Amino acid sequence: MVDLIQNTLDGLATGYAYGLLALGFTLIFGVMGRLNITFGPSIMVGVFAGAGFSQHGSGILTVLIVTIAGAVIASAYVERLSFAAIKGNAALASMASSFAISMQLEEAVAHVFPGRTYAFPSIGTLSVIDFGPFFIRAEYLAMAVVAAVLLLGVHLLLTRTFFGLELRTLSDSPEAARVSGINVARVAFLTFLLAACIGGAAGFMIAATDGQITPKFGLWATLKGLIAMVIGGLGSLRGAVIGGLVLGVVEAQSQWFLGAAGREIVVYATLFLALVLLPYGLTGRATAKTARRL
Amino acid sequence: MDGFTISVLSNIALFSFLAISAWLLLVAGEISFGQQAYFAIGAYTSGIASAVWQWPFVFAVLLGALTGAIVAAIVARVTLRLSGLHYAIATLAFAELLRASLNVIHYQRDVDGYLTGPDGANGFRDIRWVYDAGIGAGQYLGIILAALVMVIAAIALITRARGMAVLRLVGENPTLAAMQGLSPSRVKTIAAAAAGAIAAIGGGLYAHMATYIEPAQFSVMIGVHALSYGLMGGLGTVLGPILGVFIDIGALETLRIFAGYRMIVFGGLVAVILIWRPRGLLDETLVRRWQKWLRR
Repeated sequence: MVDLIQNTLDGLATGYAYGLLALGFTLIFGVMGRLNITFGPSIMVGVFAGAGFSQHGSGILTVLIVTIAGAVIASAYVERLSFAAIKGNAALASMASSFAISMQLEEAVAHVFPGRTYAFPSIGTLSVIDFGPFFIRAEYLAMAVVAAVLLLGVHLLLTRTFFGLELRTLSDSPEAARVSGINVARVAFLTFLLAACIGGAAGFMIAATDGQITPKFGLWATLKGLIAMVIGGLGSLRGAVIGGLVLGVVEAQSQWFLGAAGREIVVYATLFLALVLLPYGLTGRATAKTARRL
Repeated sequence: MDGFTISVLSNIALFSFLAISAWLLLVAGEISFGQQAYFAIGAYTSGIASAVWQWPFVFAVLLGALTGAIVAAIVARVTLRLSGLHYAIATLAFAELLRASLNVIHYQRDVDGYLTGPDGANGFRDIRWVYDAGIGAGQYLGIILAALVMVIAAIALITRARGMAVLRLVGENPTLAAMQGLSPSRVKTIAAAAAGAIAAIGGGLYAHMATYIEPAQFSVMIGVHALSYGLMGGLGTVLGPILGVFIDIGALETLRIFAGYRMIVFGGLVAVILIWRPRGLLDETLVRRWQKWLRR
């Protein structure tokens, strides 16, 4: 029982990071109805840039800013080439193109950072907070706090600002947004950059907790964000966070009871069953956008 | 032909099976991120049949194709009511589930004093039927090409018999297809089974060429590559996906100037082609124009 609760705590901690990744996916999917497979690799560019700066003795705050800036620049490149340039109802072409760009980013990072593994600075000294028979690592607690603050920020941005209103209109109906004079291209681009900021922050937290990064980070982050988004329900911000937490807990429990190979099987079986049994996720409902052909 | 040319051509031909498999589903209006699963099923099943059970090569590959078709049909029955993105991610989940399961499947039997068969993450070695039969790399390339030509001929035959028109109608407008008395879900299940069989034939041929296979070889990257071959080459004919494979493996891998930058060049090329032609180089419009010109 103690194990079960401890695993749940660990799972919730990583789940927040997955939730942030899913949030980035959800924002882009909600506004454009298109899937950005390069989301993870763009974050990877930022994380590697951050690691590169930290090797030259930059402080942790500089590393955070560089990480986010790297993710934003890579995302802007992706948006211009794979999303803004492909007009009309061609979500499939955008998705394939974003995959092609992800290969570019991965090879580019491999050229600039030729080693396999790089150290990433930690947020502070490693400490463990005990309460009763349970414990939680301080970075995990920090990650949960940062995630909560970011979520609140995004929520306020969406509900209290004019940009948020434009974004929600576009998400509900692109036609209505166009008719009411919203600059669709501009809102889509800004949403992309907002998602990149959130992803960059998530990438920073994950890398700082792990203490190291590899070029596999990109595909890994894409898969985790995608799975969390699908479990939670496409296009739902609340669902993204819940999906992330569910994924984190399922991973932690199956890792503990079944080992690494078992964890992989359980995670993908969960995803497959979730799609077949609950096609619209835990919180979602059928909308024209989710049912639309890619 | 020297050994390098033979190996490049063999790779092009083997990837063509996977690319055709993904293309067939694209024509039916579905995106699959998971055709590598059927490639793996073909590789493992035919490998077990020939190496562990000592079946003849042809029957081993056919068993792989049959298994691929059956599994694909079952998965299609379960997932086809999903649409668009949901279907795409369900196929990805299935393929990754299969790959993760191969990591823990152990089935080794004593064959002539050696333990043979899949050994989880350690892979499956000594699928030696082709080498034991004394078939050289050049001859084996001939076998792969013959199988590929048969698959293309079968698709050409279906195209003549209006089967492909039905598939395209279901892909473009399932409601209209249903109004004409077609069953979109049945058509899509048949297409998925055929796509599974084609990928599995490629996998079976690959396993016997490589003699060694392991779960890590059948990752998502392979499947998404196969998908982008069709998208880049064009959805209009079966030659589109093959053109895509030629551009990537044939041109970029063999050109030395791109060494180390192949993915950057290939990625940029795909992106530019998709801006210029969102349905690939040989898209439906171009194919129709050519057909008109030929008939004149």
